[in-house]
Amino acid sequence: MDAAYTLARYLTRNAHDAEDVVQDACLRALKYFDTFRGAEGASARAWLLAIVRNTAYSWRGRRRMDGAATEFDETQHSDAVADEHPDGAVLRSDAKETLHRALERLAPEFREVIVLRELEGMSYKEISDVAGVPVGTVMSRLSRARARLQETLREAEGR
Amino acid sequence: MTHPGETELDAYLDGELAAVDARELETHLAQCAECTRFRDGRLALRTAIQTNVPRFAAPDTLRHRVRASLKTAAPGPASRRVGLAGWWRPLALAASLAAVAIGSWNLALQRAAGLALADDVLTSHIRSLMPGHLTDVVSTDQHTVKPWFNGRLDFSPPVHDFAPQGYPLLGGRLDYVDGRSVAVLAYGRRQHLINVFLWPATRAPGATPRARDRQGYHLLHWTTSDYVYWVVSDLGTVELRDFAQLVQQADSAAAVTAPR
Repeated sequence: MDAAYTLARYLTRNAHDAEDVVQDACLRALKYFDTFRGAEGASARAWLLAIVRNTAYSWRGRRRMDGAATEFDETQHSDAVADEHPDGAVLRSDAKETLHRALERLAPEFREVIVLRELEGMSYKEISDVAGVPVGTVMSRLSRARARLQETLREAEGR
Repeated sequence: MTHPGETELDAYLDGELAAVDARELETHLAQCAECTRFRDGRLALRTAIQTNVPRFAAPDTLRHRVRASLKTAAPGPASRRVGLAGWWRPLALAASLAAVAIGSWNLALQRAAGLALADDVLTSHIRSLMPGHLTDVVSTDQHTVKPWFNGRLDFSPPVHDFAPQGYPLLGGRLDYVDGRSVAVLAYGRRQHLINVFLWPATRAPGATPRARDRQGYHLLHWTTSDYVYWVVSDLGTVELRDFAQLVQQADSAAAVTAPR
C-alpha cells in the first residue's frame, strides 16, 4: 500500500491526487483480479503497481496535471528551471529540495523508473511489468534518468 | 580496450548483469579511471536519492477509504459476470485486497526481499571460499583492516579482532550486495570461516538476530541503528550466535565510547 501510494505520489506530484489514484486503482484491481490470476510470472506487487501507474496516467490525461500531457519532450522538461519559483534560491540550497525538484521535473516515464528502482528496489523485470515496456527500455530509461538527475544536480551546485 | 556503455554500467551497479559480464566489467573498472569516475558519480547519486527522496506512508484516511470503497464495490459487476455459483468470489477478492491494504502485503514483500538478500549474501560467502577470493586485505590487525576501507567505501565500518575469544580476524574485502558496495570481514574459527557483511542501515533497527539456514550454511541477520549485519558460516548455530553476540557487544561498546 505504501509502495502504491509512493508511486502515485511521485506520478501525480500531489498528495491529494495520489490518494484518489490509489483508491481508484484498488477498485480497478478488484475488478481485474481475474486477469492477475492469468498473468503468470508477474509478481503481485508489480501487478498492483501497474494498475496504480495506469490509473495515474489516465488521471493525468484527464486532468492535465502535467503541462505537456501527451508529449514528453525531455529537453523541454530539463529546461524548465527552478528559477520560476520565487523561493528558488532558498530551495536550491537544500540538497533534499534540489533532488526532489530534479526528480519532479523529469518526464513521468523517467521519474517512475527511478522511483521503482531506487525507492522500491524492484528488479528490471518487475519494472518492465509495471511500466509495460521491455526490459531494454527500462535499462535505457534508467540510465538517461540518472544522467539527467546528475546533470540537474551539477547545475544546481554550480549556481 | 572498449568502454562498457552507460546502460551496461548501470545494470552492473543495479546487480542486473550476468555474473560473467559483471566480472569482465569489474576487471575493466579496476584499470579505467573514466569508468570508475562514472561509477562513483552514480553511487553518489544513489546515496543522494536514498537519503533525500522519501517513500511515503499511505495515510490512515486513505486506508480507511480504500477499505470502505472495496466493501461497497464487492457485489459489483464481477459478481454478475461470474454468476450465482461464484457469488462469494468478489467477497473473497475484496477480503484479500483489504488484507493487502491493511499490511500483510508489506510483510510478504519484506520477507521476499529478505530472502533475496540472504541468497545474495550466501552466494558471496560461497564465492569467498574459493581460493584467492576471501580477502582483499590480509591482516589480523584491526588497525590495518579498518583504514584499508577508507576511500573504497562511502562508510567506515567498525572492525574488531576477536582472537582472544577464539575468532581471529583474517582480513577484509569489498563485495557487492543488495545493490551497493559493502564491507566484508572474514574471521576464522578452527577450520571454519565466518563472513561478516555490513553496510549502513536505512531502516529501523531490529536488534535480535534472525537466523536462516541455507544449503548447510547458517545465516544471522540483524540491524543496529548504524549498520545492517549479515553473518554467514558453516559453523554450528550455537557458536555462530556466540560470535554474533561478540560483534554486537563490540559494536555497542564502540558506539558508547565514540558517539557520532
